[in-house]
Amino acid sequence: MTKLMNKPISELHELLVKKEITPVDLVNDCIAGVKSDDCNCFEALNFDGALKEAGKITEIKEEEYLKGIPYFAKDNYSTKGIETTASSNILNGYVPVFDATVISKLNRAGMIMVAKTTMDELAMGGTGTTGHKGSTLNPYDHSRIIGGSSCGSASSLALGLAPLALGSDTGDSVRKPASNGGLVGYKATWGRISRYGLFPFAPSLDAVGFFTRNVLDASYVLSALSGHDRNDMSSSYRKREKYENYVLGHKTLKKIGYFKAVMDSISDKTIKDSYVDLLNKLKAKGYEVIAYDYPVELLDALYPTYMIISCAEATSNDANLDGIRFGPTAKDNPKTYSEYMTECRTKGFSDLIKRRFVIGSFSLLSQNQEEMFSRAQKARRLIVDNLNRFFDSIDYLVQPASFAIPKKFSELSTAWSTHPDFLDNILTLGNFGGNPSLTLPMAFESGMPLGINVTGRIFEDGYVMGLGQEIENITGLKNLTVKEAK
Amino acid sequence: MEYEPVIGIEIHVELKTKSKMFSSAPCTFGKDPNSQTVPLDLAFPGTMPVVNEEAVVFGIRVSTALNMKVARTLYFDRKNYFYPDLPKGYQITQQFHPIGRDGFVEINVDGKTEKIGIEQAHLEEDTAKQIHLSDISLLNFNRCGTPLIEIVSLPEMHSGLEAMKYVEAIREIVAYLGVSDGKMENGSLRCDINVSLRPKGTIKLGTKCECKNLNTIQNIRSAVDYEVKRQSEILDAGGQVEQETRRYDEGLKQTVLMRKKTDAIDYKYFREPNIVPIDLDEGFIYDAIHSMNKLPNAYRSELKADGLSDYEIEELLKNQDFVVYFEDCLALGIKNSSTLWNFLMVDILGYLNKSQKTLDELKFSKENLVQLVNDLTSGKINSKQAKEVLAIMIEEGKNPTDIIKEKGMEQISDTGEVEKLVDEILKNNQQSVADYQHGKDHALGYLVGQVMKMSHGKANPNLSKELIVKKIGPCIKPTNK
Repeated sequence: MTKLMNKPISELHELLVKKEITPVDLVNDCIAGVKSDDCNCFEALNFDGALKEAGKITEIKEEEYLKGIPYFAKDNYSTKGIETTASSNILNGYVPVFDATVISKLNRAGMIMVAKTTMDELAMGGTGTTGHKGSTLNPYDHSRIIGGSSCGSASSLALGLAPLALGSDTGDSVRKPASNGGLVGYKATWGRISRYGLFPFAPSLDAVGFFTRNVLDASYVLSALSGHDRNDMSSSYRKREKYENYVLGHKTLKKIGYFKAVMDSISDKTIKDSYVDLLNKLKAKGYEVIAYDYPVELLDALYPTYMIISCAEATSNDANLDGIRFGPTAKDNPKTYSEYMTECRTKGFSDLIKRRFVIGSFSLLSQNQEEMFSRAQKARRLIVDNLNRFFDSIDYLVQPASFAIPKKFSELSTAWSTHPDFLDNILTLGNFGGNPSLTLPMAFESGMPLGINVTGRIFEDGYVMGLGQEIENITGLKNLTVKEAK
Repeated sequence: MEYEPVIGIEIHVELKTKSKMFSSAPCTFGKDPNSQTVPLDLAFPGTMPVVNEEAVVFGIRVSTALNMKVARTLYFDRKNYFYPDLPKGYQITQQFHPIGRDGFVEINVDGKTEKIGIEQAHLEEDTAKQIHLSDISLLNFNRCGTPLIEIVSLPEMHSGLEAMKYVEAIREIVAYLGVSDGKMENGSLRCDINVSLRPKGTIKLGTKCECKNLNTIQNIRSAVDYEVKRQSEILDAGGQVEQETRRYDEGLKQTVLMRKKTDAIDYKYFREPNIVPIDLDEGFIYDAIHSMNKLPNAYRSELKADGLSDYEIEELLKNQDFVVYFEDCLALGIKNSSTLWNFLMVDILGYLNKSQKTLDELKFSKENLVQLVNDLTSGKINSKQAKEVLAIMIEEGKNPTDIIKEKGMEQISDTGEVEKLVDEILKNNQQSVADYQHGKDHALGYLVGQVMKMSHGKANPNLSKELIVKKIGPCIKPTNK
């Protein structure tokens, strides 16, 4: 059982520098933890590779904050030589020939990847139930979901099996499960971290994200991951920053806003009380707290806009999965290329994925494009314009990351909601605008964690981290794992 | 009924950039299958396109050469369809905002200059190559991702000849720009030709057919002419032309049906989300344009002004290296451009062809060639000697002044000296003198020849001729009674 992996990076780093432990100790501890997993967190394992890497490290300097620390990566990051399936049968047996940029960056920082984590198939889904390995459980209550799509990364961190796990966030795929698992979940500004090697779901919304158990650790990881990458044209040339300085130096901006419509719609008493309480405490610390009228019709537009844009992009991005160059091949002796592809894709994708592809394709067809895809693009423009108007005068949008404790598996339905609640989709705002967005623990209800979310202006990732630290200080909720919380 | 053919042409030009349109793989032909690939070319998950700057420069140059407006912001779109040669399941192209638009090209048809409008030029990527064997299909991804520029004409051509001239003009321009081999036979320039007919004098366009597989310039003309004939016959018989894709069969000299366009694919175009719009710097565009090679039509007007005939110009233009070499020589101060043309296109070209060498491999400098041409023009040596000197220059690379001196070829141009020779010849050839004076003008040539012979070829022939005429002239032809 793990003795070390439930600790924050800062503590492990200190032990490593003092040579009280070695990277091999950490990896062995991590492996033991992975073996004890009872929540279905993992896809491919990299035990031998990790031990080998750990064995090569002889010295760790004070400033090598991440060196020698084990971590997990969501199974949609390309990892050279390690099977990567995005939890989809269509990629069974696919062993990439290259590392995603974030994987190489963490490697170069001396971090050691021990395992790949389960996810909703191809990152499409928010329940952590659609991957080819079945449902991933919430460590706090095995009858409840951890949420997705980065389910394995979230549950493994809530179990205390590593101090960092990479996720990816297209709608809220890091920030929602972070809320459900009592974790810090971060989605950087679109373009701040290279997406090269991240299997695309919807590139205009996709962002590299990750889970840690405190804000300082997250800031160090962000510093290691950010920067331009010549393999990703959308990655920004902006100067890299030392984001930990915002956290350590308490650098924040002063104006916090919330949406009136959101505040008025919260029905869960614990959430509302903790939220209001938090805002009051921030006010007491000298922050200005401003109620803002964001148009409700645009909040209602979040769900359909998100579904159309993400499904449209997904149907195109996943068109490469045709069984010809990688993945399982067709068995039924197809006569034509179209029979071949049809067989591979029919067998390889689950029905839920096919449904998204159908919606995406339908909305792009020339007779529908104007009414569906183009309209969704226009709606996105309005949503983002109005969000930017908010940020013209206000520095942060602070709101709950979830509005109820996570659902039980027995309560789930795959039917499409005809009257979606905008609260369930509020975090997509950050993907539409490409904003930096941080979820961290706010409260507990019935033994289940609940998160608060801080979203800032694009490329103000540092200030978002800074306020995250302020909130962490207020709530005192950090370094949570399921054992400590219970 | 009399019909007017309406022809529009789409030309795909493969750009000879060092690397591919969106990946770092090299664009090298003839290598082992699938050796010229990186993960993006095989569409491995997580790979992302990076726009090739050199391809953009080439795109700007093509657009400029075709008198188009160059886009200030580049956008790319996805064209979605499933096919084994398309690994991503979409092609990245510029559907909505091409790099160049609204241009034209000038062509010469039967001595008249015509302007053919060009709607747009856009950058995109090539597909992989499929090889179908009896029981298996093979895929070679080396070509996959090679940059293409597609040039779309307006439907403004009306004959096979015009269509052929148009493609020829585009081919010549891309070759001169150095952006493509422009070779139809190996597929680096590919044409799709749309042909429709309408009753003469009407405006509404008829149903068009698209012709593919045209791998020589001449085939374009043949295919269009055939298609015009085929469609006329259908219409004359009261039928209707169906929208089809046809291919030209070289053996049959006919277009044959490939597929009917009944269920056209919906390509579900949308903006490529991995490439954010690229604002082109004005300086970048300026540099791309101002470092462009000179275009064929610019050479045509310059060379015409230099006194070359149309034939001479067109012969020179067949090889860009030669026209550049020629103009370099002109710039060094040539006194007679036709003499230079003769040396270059007869003697030097002949030698290079025979020895399979290029102009770069010539042993003598342009300055030396210019010197030789000017020595001939000024009469320092005669043309026979000049050819002899040139032969030595080609073989040994010596400079002409030295050769002339060594061979003692320098002409006697001193009037007194030549006069002595002339007097001697006239004295010894009384009969020829008399013949000349009585109207037999060919006798003059004989006398000049004698002077040359006596001087071992060194006497200036023009001066000799002049002196002889002065002394014994005029040549009076007997009048007809």
